[in-house]
Amino acid sequence: MKNNNFFNSLIARARNEEPPRVQVAEQVIAILAADEKRLEWFWDRPLMWIATFSSAVAVPVAVLAVLLHNMWVGPLFEISQVISWVM
Amino acid sequence: MAIFTINKSFVISPEWTFVLYLTGILSEKVELMIERTGEQSPDIEQSLDIGDVRLSRQGDPDAYKRLIERHQQEIGKIMWRFSRNRTVHEELVQDVFVEAYISLATYKQRAPFTHWLRRIATRVGYRYWKQKAREKKFERFSFEEWDRLTIEAPEEIDSSRAGELLHNLLGQLPPRDRLVLTLRYLEGCDVVETAHRTGWTKSMVKVQTFRAKRKLQKLLPKQEVVV
Repeated sequence: MKNNNFFNSLIARARNEEPPRVQVAEQVIAILAADEKRLEWFWDRPLMWIATFSSAVAVPVAVLAVLLHNMWVGPLFEISQVISWVM
Repeated sequence: MAIFTINKSFVISPEWTFVLYLTGILSEKVELMIERTGEQSPDIEQSLDIGDVRLSRQGDPDAYKRLIERHQQEIGKIMWRFSRNRTVHEELVQDVFVEAYISLATYKQRAPFTHWLRRIATRVGYRYWKQKAREKKFERFSFEEWDRLTIEAPEEIDSSRAGELLHNLLGQLPPRDRLVLTLRYLEGCDVVETAHRTGWTKSMVKVQTFRAKRKLQKLLPKQEVVV
């Protein structure tokens, strides 16, 4: 019983303990600002890759479009159009 | 600092003057109340928190700084139960506020901001204990010293020493048992609050408390500790 009382009074005393004061506001804001910059850098990278991929697709599409255009406006294409209209 | 000051050059009509005058008086009274009591009433603090949470979500660092300054001592008190090393303690408090900022979008404002923060603090502290247990780092505890101290009157032991003794004693238990006993007895949480803080069910808290107490009794067979 005595030991039990000792334990409980120890708990009661520990509850009243005053912990050391902390000042973390500046550090937390600095950590968050650094994280935000890292996050921005992370997001810049995928955008760069998307841009590269888009231009890689756009170049063959443009070449294909020019070829098709040339084919349609060429003399052979015009003759075949005329023949089909006569017939 | 007065929230509203009346400048006569801006007054448009007598009605406006009266309304502005009343608002000015009211805000000054509220500030006087805050200054006199030295602390803000829970309602005022809660409304300040809600405003600052909203601004923080919009990316205002000053608003989040205000939130930290308002709650850091309370979180510091909770984290002191998890580590008594000053450097680690400060790092844990920082971790709580960083984690809270990242999860700020999940705060639903159904409960006061403090309750939400306490839950995060418990999670951060528990994670720290689990990491320490994985690394097999345990608190040093002398059973001989404990035996010697039981002879002394507990009034002679100061609160800091009592806190350290209990911290080291509970440090001999696995993190799960340590957490439940710390919350129930050192923090003085009831079953409902312990369940809220840990994210466990109420019956799980009861079972875990029972098991943890049994382990503590086995740890100190001579003491017959019944908490």
